[in-house]
Amino acid sequence: MKKIFLAIIVCISFSSTAVFAQSSVCGDFHKKACYIEGTRKDKRAFAYNAQSKSGLFAQGSVSKMRCIVYKGMDYRISVCCETILGDKVNFKIYDGRTNEELFDNTKNDNTQQFEFQASTTRQLIIEATVPTGEVKEEKGKAENAACVGLLIENKVSDKTGFSQY
Amino acid sequence: MKKTLIKTLSVAALSGAVMLTSCGGGDKKTDVENMATDSTKTDTITSTAKATESSTEMSYQVPSPKEMFVFIKQVAGKNNKRVDMLNSPDNAKNYTDARSQALNFGIYSCDLTYCSIFEIGTNAIKYFKAVKQLGDAVGVSSAINPDILKRLEKNMGNPDSLVEVADNLYFSSFETLQNSQQGNTLALAVAGGYIEGLSIACNLVKYDKKNPAVERIADEKYTLENIIEFMKKYESDANVKQTIAQLEDLKKTFNAVTEKQQGKVTVKDEKGTKVLGGGSELEMTEAQYKALAEKVATIRNSFTGK
Repeated sequence: MKKIFLAIIVCISFSSTAVFAQSSVCGDFHKKACYIEGTRKDKRAFAYNAQSKSGLFAQGSVSKMRCIVYKGMDYRISVCCETILGDKVNFKIYDGRTNEELFDNTKNDNTQQFEFQASTTRQLIIEATVPTGEVKEEKGKAENAACVGLLIENKVSDKTGFSQY
Repeated sequence: MKKTLIKTLSVAALSGAVMLTSCGGGDKKTDVENMATDSTKTDTITSTAKATESSTEMSYQVPSPKEMFVFIKQVAGKNNKRVDMLNSPDNAKNYTDARSQALNFGIYSCDLTYCSIFEIGTNAIKYFKAVKQLGDAVGVSSAINPDILKRLEKNMGNPDSLVEVADNLYFSSFETLQNSQQGNTLALAVAGGYIEGLSIACNLVKYDKKNPAVERIADEKYTLENIIEFMKKYESDANVKQTIAQLEDLKKTFNAVTEKQQGKVTVKDEKGTKVLGGGSELEMTEAQYKALAEKVATIRNSFTGK
């Protein structure tokens, strides 16, 4: 029993370190993994958005993040995870005020990317469900945790029509 | 048994940390029930879901000042080159306490971004030095490599590269604060950068009801809401608490702006492009704009010690 308690204490200490180190484990994951095929070849001038992020998650968990999209901008949101079983991240986008569902990738061929134009500024909630599967073992990372990345890119919408700007 | 226990605790602790980025906040509204609906989960994962119930967080993201400056440059033109409205790099030596160092680290980082976007190369170098000076003070020296100065000097005539260098510096220094568990310093730096960005925008943009840049400034209300929620995670720190109170005051000014309803929130397909529309739009009067600019100036001056 004493050994179990010792294991718990060691484990908690390790986990705390892992929490601190998690950003270095997954830190730039979204920059490396979320540029899906075709994104890099896209010549349109999408720029990296500071609201992008990566994190270490328990597999099967759901996480939410609140971000802002501005009127007059085009956005491209890409999600990715490191499972090597080919599982894809399920993600939904909700309006931050009304909680109305705006997008669900499971209803759109499980696409890992959503591109849209914002005609009004709004807060969005992006909800990602982390898939389960085997992941690469890394220092400071638990066996059942996986890196998940969310890449947001933006550009000023093309000027069209008579009224825009 | 021991192995399962270790595994469970490790994952629980890791998931408790949730997404770590510029701004992970403390709103506990995450739908924990959803976590337990996946029938493929093992007992360990189910335990994890329960274990994280009390620690799962909504994270709040904050756009960088670059986004607003790029928009203003595109809408108002690139000739808005004014350094008189920035915080003079000479003031950097005056910031000796933790709060003013963190706030002005954010302010100078924003000034550097402005100089790089509006192609004021010589000033970008000066602002880099101020960022470096305060960066050393707040503990992000590792992110501010002296080579960056060489790259800035080398790219003086190349605006795109200048923006890229400044932007990378912004991300890496803020990331360093986050990775080194200096959430309170990060919170203050984010607040400083936000107020400086808003101050520059209010100085550059002349009020015109139809000017999209004015509307964009009004929309900064939403960013402010995210920043306040993010900062609340660190409000046990007296400096952060004091700054939140100032931002809450600014929020009251924003709340006076009329919200015009544009109908139901929609996602429409327009010629192959998904368009997010509806909801509400903010319409600012000239008096409200003036009041906002004054409030921003007051807070900004209290940050810079002017």
